[in-house]
Amino acid sequence: MERCCSTQADILSAQTRSRQQIRILHARRPRDWFLRTSLIAFAGLLCAAIWIGDFEWKFSEQRGRNLARFAEEMRPFPLQHEPWSTDVAFRWSAQLLDDKGAAAAAKTLAISLVAISIAGSIALVLSFPAARTFARPDAWSRSSPASRPSNRIAWTSLYLSTRAALIALRAMPEYVWAFLLLAALGPTPWVAILALALHNIGTLGRLGAETVENAEPRVFETLRAVGADRTQVVAFGLWPQLLPRFLLFYFYRWETCVREATVLGMLGIASLGFWIDDARARGHTDELVFWVLLGSAIVLVGDATSALARWAVRRA
Amino acid sequence: MTPADGLGTRPWPVGPRAIVFLLLLAAGSWGVVYLELDPADLLPGAGGVATTKRFFARALSPAWVTEARFVPVDSPPLLIGALEAAWQTLRFAAAAVALSLVIGIALGVPASTAVWAPDPEGSPSIARRFARRSLLPALYLVTRTIIGFLRSIHELLWAVLFLVAFGLNDLTAVVAIALPYGGVLAKIFSEMIDEAPRDSAETLREAGARPLQVLLFALLPRALPDMTGYAFYRMECALRASAVLGFFGFPTLGLFIRQSFSATNYGEVWTYLYTLALLVILFDAWSGAVRRRLTS
Repeated sequence: MERCCSTQADILSAQTRSRQQIRILHARRPRDWFLRTSLIAFAGLLCAAIWIGDFEWKFSEQRGRNLARFAEEMRPFPLQHEPWSTDVAFRWSAQLLDDKGAAAAAKTLAISLVAISIAGSIALVLSFPAARTFARPDAWSRSSPASRPSNRIAWTSLYLSTRAALIALRAMPEYVWAFLLLAALGPTPWVAILALALHNIGTLGRLGAETVENAEPRVFETLRAVGADRTQVVAFGLWPQLLPRFLLFYFYRWETCVREATVLGMLGIASLGFWIDDARARGHTDELVFWVLLGSAIVLVGDATSALARWAVRRA
Repeated sequence: MTPADGLGTRPWPVGPRAIVFLLLLAAGSWGVVYLELDPADLLPGAGGVATTKRFFARALSPAWVTEARFVPVDSPPLLIGALEAAWQTLRFAAAAVALSLVIGIALGVPASTAVWAPDPEGSPSIARRFARRSLLPALYLVTRTIIGFLRSIHELLWAVLFLVAFGLNDLTAVVAIALPYGGVLAKIFSEMIDEAPRDSAETLREAGARPLQVLLFALLPRALPDMTGYAFYRMECALRASAVLGFFGFPTLGLFIRQSFSATNYGEVWTYLYTLALLVILFDAWSGAVRRRLTS
């Protein structure tokens, strides 16, 4: 009967002790004032935008009427003010797909594929000069001979200028790039391709550079120590580490490219967005909704393909 | 990899990664052929050259004062106007992110599987078995479908739909950004909850905690740093999206870029472009610093 004999007082004192321990641990937790201030500021910004941002949140009667009108207008044209018939709706959709939809969908996919190919190849090259560990005269060599100052300045300026270019490319949204390019090139698919490529070089280049910087340096240091030069380190040490990660980013970015390629058509380039804008301009809500849903289907197909590809890369 | 290293033999002569690469090459080439891309089109046409030259001539000399010859009497000076537009961009983005966080958490929690522990040993009650076998999978499937649908429509397309339905209204832009972003946040949050360490969750569960308690006191706290970091990143994207919505008539930076560009006041365009770049880069730097500290 030894085990059951802890008294009430024992239990209480044990509880107090563990509470004290928790309090001590709580007092000793790592505190970061920058982080704390940032989080409070961010939360404050979000709350302020909601509470004093001057948005009309109420679902007014007018909004209800608008929604009802929209719901009626988005029925396929032959079925407006008619009883619903799946057969008619199906034929109407097939007709639209046949006329414009299939070609526009294929063009959207083609634009995204070319854009991500260009962006991926350029960003892969740029991730090296944009990585702090690579862009220095004595990359990864532990016993570095004193490098000439001119050498060091050259590498640093290469690093800084690549980084700055990547930041600038990334800061501009695809839509703004396309808007500016359209004025120069006129309505060719290149506008969408270049706009997507420019923005994604910025994103992929940064991600690639981070991968290079985060790669386990011990392998490279060993390679350097046995006499490998920079190119050999990249080819045999870094490349096999970088490539799978980079491919994952590549497919993630391709997913957004498919979305954006759809949208960029609204500027007048022959992707799905062109027909979306066309339907909006003519006030054909039914077609508008159909194109948007078709775009959604393309995106879902793209996401599934990308998930499959990423699975294959991870497995490799 | 040599066959001698004992890691097993490959089923195919080329690895999956090589196949992926070949497919990428093929896909890119198909795109070039299908679009009938001509490198000659990369050079601006006759009209384009003049515009391009005049546009880029102002790259290093953005306008400091309004360039338009006729301006409304009460319009603010250019720089004040640019700041005002930047504030509007921030306002739309912040409201959208706030709303999308609500959607993201509301949908992300039911879309994660970590909350539901396997049944304890012994025979569970019929109600519990029913919940596990049919209700939970149904809930999971429904939330996943909603998330997929929200995510699959770009914010600008949501905006176009809402513009047609409700007209130009500030809330339109906010909801248009918030819906797809809510979907993305829900997907990422559910993955983060599922991938976070489960140690504290299991301890709590063994002590008899209910799923809601496990979620609130073990799973969410573990995933919170990653979730916060991702929310910051999404805010960065929302700033860009909010700026672009200006092209559709909302009073953010995009509106002024479009207006000044079509009035060929290229100096002003550069002023607004630099304002946008500055806004995004500043937030990028801030969110980068926050994320580095959160993950370290």
